[in-house]
Amino acid sequence: MDLQRLKPHFPWITLLVLVAFVGMTDPNFLRPANLLSLAGDIVPLFIMALGLTFAIYIGGIDLSAQSMANMITVVASAYLASLGLWVAALCVVLGFGLGLLSGFITTRLFVPSFISTLAVGGVCFSAAQWLSGNRALNMDADQRDALFGWMIGRTGIIPNELFIAAALLAVCLFIERRTTLGRALKAVGAGELAAAASGLNVTRYKMLAFAVSGALAAIAGLLFSVKLSGGAPTIANGFLLPAIVAVLVGGTPLTGGVGGVLNTAIGTMIVAVIRASMLYFGVQATQQQMVFGLVLIVAIALTIDRSKLRTVK
Amino acid sequence: MSQLLDRDRLIRWAPLLVLVGLVILFALVNPAFLSQRNFARIAIAAAPALMVAIGVTFIIIMGSIDLSMEGTVGLTAVLFCFIFLATGGTLATGGWLAIPAILLVGALIGLVNGLIHVRLRIPSFMASLALGFVGTGAAVLLTGGNIVKIEDDTFRALLTWRIAGFPLMVYVVAVLTLLASFIQSYTTLGRNFYAVGGGEELAHASGLNVRRVRILGFVLAGVFYAVAGILQVAKLGQAESVSGANFMFISITSVVVGGVALWGGIGGVWNTVVGVLIVNVINNGMVVIGLPDYLQDGMLGLLVIVAVVLSTDRRSVSFVK
Repeated sequence: MDLQRLKPHFPWITLLVLVAFVGMTDPNFLRPANLLSLAGDIVPLFIMALGLTFAIYIGGIDLSAQSMANMITVVASAYLASLGLWVAALCVVLGFGLGLLSGFITTRLFVPSFISTLAVGGVCFSAAQWLSGNRALNMDADQRDALFGWMIGRTGIIPNELFIAAALLAVCLFIERRTTLGRALKAVGAGELAAAASGLNVTRYKMLAFAVSGALAAIAGLLFSVKLSGGAPTIANGFLLPAIVAVLVGGTPLTGGVGGVLNTAIGTMIVAVIRASMLYFGVQATQQQMVFGLVLIVAIALTIDRSKLRTVK
Repeated sequence: MSQLLDRDRLIRWAPLLVLVGLVILFALVNPAFLSQRNFARIAIAAAPALMVAIGVTFIIIMGSIDLSMEGTVGLTAVLFCFIFLATGGTLATGGWLAIPAILLVGALIGLVNGLIHVRLRIPSFMASLALGFVGTGAAVLLTGGNIVKIEDDTFRALLTWRIAGFPLMVYVVAVLTLLASFIQSYTTLGRNFYAVGGGEELAHASGLNVRRVRILGFVLAGVFYAVAGILQVAKLGQAESVSGANFMFISITSVVVGGVALWGGIGGVWNTVVGVLIVNVINNGMVVIGLPDYLQDGMLGLLVIVAVVLSTDRRSVSFVK
């Protein structure tokens, strides 16, 4: 029973312990209705984390995810009236395209991903402010219900968001486990130089990873704006930290190569439980950022593969 | 070889040329840009940003990065107001105690940052980003989301007392910039930053305690962030948890645009001064010639990418993460 063999099992053990712990303190927490609504509420964050997983899996990072989601809430609110259902396609294409741009800047222009995505995030923020005129936009409630109402209703007692989350998770899992792209990303994450040396088109796959991250951040933004029936340039602020935490506590290290989208699902649930438990223990919402910042440091320290880092810069 | 020489020379002088070009451009579009009042406006806007940027310059010279400045500036600004008010509420009656206290707090935050990065062996961009979130969270916690005001004329003289048209804080920043330049060029610590940035393994092999230098770098940066926090209070007369907002983007952009290479070992304080001026001249000039201010973040984004691309010698880099 050495620690290294146990390591992959840490995330779900953590989740079970946390759930049991909170459940013992407050039995109400374990009611199915409560758990389901908790899960439903975290779905936009989950989708963003799902995308981030791809960027982190290859050893990069996507700091533009939050600005992307912000911008998409504005785009979705501004164009819902004129484009109807097509606005969803516009959002995803925008996210994919801007992600591709981040990937291009990172791989072709040799700008480290935390800078390139920060810069693309800046562009997104400007675009969002320009498009919204720095105001909060509202969606037409009837139109939203008619076109996107299916996203946020309930089927029986299950929030519909959970179906969206499950579908996206399935797609991502398929990409990760059963496609060339998924295998290539694993190779890049495990050892980029070796992957390139064995003839893999590393540049293309890395760009695709950032594009997928962008597209999923856009979907997260779309769902969020549908939920709130509107958009604003800073409405999704506060997503980035828990999303990164979700990926890392799930067991995908900053160094990439191991973990994956299923880990992120568990990681998101851990984040959800931590959030809920903080409410039960009377930790105010304002303190959550501090707690998650500390959790992030611990999670990185526990998961990072130090053998891959010759010098830690 | 001659090509390499040209490239080096170009990189060294390009930022200054860009700055001069920008000033000429904006002056041609709107002569009011060249007025003394406008220069003072740019200087006031640039003063806290320059302190943050100089702090992170030391880190970037080492080849690391620090993304904690928003949290550190916000927290130090808020704490400064609290201590200032607790010790009398005016500079003369004991409020001055807040200044050394806050510099110490800044150093402590930097120390924690450096220890997390070095001892836990976490890449600095993530360790500092996480700590930045903690800092902002702590500031929110302290203020409960409220604004803390300081109404002391003596302290506000940093902004209101003008010498030759420029407020006192500009001169304070100028002196501190000289100090930073001195640390960089004439102290062992300053030279060690370059040794670590130029080649960590070599520095280690020649007997340098690299971990100690790294931690001290973060401590030094923390002190400069704390100065920025104080100046931010002097400028606005108040502090809140978001007092440090946007400093991360602006300072990193400034440093890189000024010609400090992200890979470490190249550039220095004076590059950062030019970079901060470029960024602030652009921000100010865009408003002066009538462009909407929401374009600024997008502009900065493009600027930082161009700067990194230009400063990267692509033959020597195999891949980036």
